[in-house]
Amino acid sequence: MHDATPSRRLRQMRRALVAGARMLALAVVLVWSAFPIALLVLGSLRMPRDIFSEKNLFVFTPTLQNYVNLWQRWPDFFHNLVNSLMIALGATALTLVISFLAGYVYARRQGRMLTASAFFMIMVRLLPPIVLTLPLFPAINWLMLNDTRTVLILLYSAFFLSLGTWIMKAFIDQLPIELEEAAAIDGSSLWQTLWHIILPLSHAGLIATSVFIMVFAWNDFLFAFIFTAVDAKTAPVVISEMVGAIDGVDWGILFAAATLQLLPILVFVLLVQKYLIAGLSAGASKG
Amino acid sequence: MVAPAQAMLIALLFLPALYVFWLSLTRSTYGATPQWVGLGNYVTVLSDPYFWTAALNTVIVVNAVVLGEFALALGVAMLFAGWIPWRRLMIAVVLAPYAISEVVSVVIWKFMMDPIGGPVSLALRGLGLPELDWAVEPSHGLAMVILLSIWHHLPFTFILLYTALLGIPRDLYEAAKVDGAGAWRRFVDVTFPLLVPAMLVAVVFRYIFAFRIFSEVWLLTGGGPARTTEVLAVYLYRQAFRYADFGAAAATGWLMLIASLLMGAWYIHQMYKRMFSNA
Repeated sequence: MHDATPSRRLRQMRRALVAGARMLALAVVLVWSAFPIALLVLGSLRMPRDIFSEKNLFVFTPTLQNYVNLWQRWPDFFHNLVNSLMIALGATALTLVISFLAGYVYARRQGRMLTASAFFMIMVRLLPPIVLTLPLFPAINWLMLNDTRTVLILLYSAFFLSLGTWIMKAFIDQLPIELEEAAAIDGSSLWQTLWHIILPLSHAGLIATSVFIMVFAWNDFLFAFIFTAVDAKTAPVVISEMVGAIDGVDWGILFAAATLQLLPILVFVLLVQKYLIAGLSAGASKG
Repeated sequence: MVAPAQAMLIALLFLPALYVFWLSLTRSTYGATPQWVGLGNYVTVLSDPYFWTAALNTVIVVNAVVLGEFALALGVAMLFAGWIPWRRLMIAVVLAPYAISEVVSVVIWKFMMDPIGGPVSLALRGLGLPELDWAVEPSHGLAMVILLSIWHHLPFTFILLYTALLGIPRDLYEAAKVDGAGAWRRFVDVTFPLLVPAMLVAVVFRYIFAFRIFSEVWLLTGGGPARTTEVLAVYLYRQAFRYADFGAAAATGWLMLIASLLMGAWYIHQMYKRMFSNA
């Protein structure tokens, strides 16, 4: 027993070392995640000529010069932001309505046909989106829906219906069925029950679903790039044009535009963080 | 009430996918009536060296992204399963890249890695480390795509693994401790086996999604120089919208679809078993 004290000290040292290593790892993870974003947002507030100077990366007098330049050189960008917003809201509303109804049925009804249709829903998740641009391109031209917000709203919804339905089913599954039975005895119709009982109780699922579709619709490049030209062009497409500008990239303007595109959705995601986490595990792993 | 959902899926996803199959068996371009060519397009595509470059690049990028991201996400999830100060805030920071668009992440990484004055390039140079010459060197271009994708999608894999870790009952660890298991044995005997289902789901999902990679490559290198950094989605896009060869693009599309189905086969099989067993 004569070595009790040194071994305890050794253990304490090891524990301190492990704790130190953990905090160091945490610091690395935080820098990895946040530094690139901070660089962009802060860069948008520096004088254009200072953007590449490595001095005072975080301490400087902020200026809105880049935003003024953006306003003057790309006046349409704000119209494109509005497009992005309307498309994201439209796609979210559509996805919520359809997923809520389908999710309710899959949660409460059983049957071989229903199971088969649910299975079909899972299968279509495997379709790579770019494959569908081929047949949709002529079809959309023919319907004269090219370069409209409607097309993007429909496409984004179609791609997130499956996940949305799954999330809604997972949340509605947790609601006690007695509530609906009691409502039915009181003479409430199915629609009344859905509207007055199920809908308010499944708000967490609705928020979780809206996070995914909102982030996707607001950020998408591929479909907006292929299916819009002028009127319905979204912010990410315009930012990609700024990156590829032939007369050299104006980083100040680019940073201002990118910051305006990312801040609203970043704030939204962080506000509804816990729903995002709940929705992701519900949508991905539960049957 | 499932009708609207199914109608939308069939009209916008399923029928178009079938139509692509028909398209892949014909020669077609703008305005012209499609002509039946059987498997001709598949022969054309499969004997095109650019297709094989794109396929190889896709295999490299997808594997590097998914496996690198998985290892990193597992590490971060283990870290977060222990004690962390200001947990909610910390998770918010780790989640942040999830909200960023592909276009903006390309902007950020292009700036950081700018060969002349990008802060990360300067830092690497200052430390005497090799830089990424991503605009010129094809392998460096792909490396940058991989780095960017891992950064962008880490939150997704992290959340799946982290929530699964939190779901492991604490008393299992207590019991293992009582039995004298060290940290490593507790990981191998308790954490790992209980985490396998979540890990498989995370990896399968990421394989299916990473396989679709388009914007990052298109915006970063455009598939260049000289089509050396193309991935399959970029190859398909170029066939269809630059060379107006819809037959070849459709054939590429169906090859991608089949690859995607194969990658998802395990998941689909699991879902099938679970869904039809209680029906």
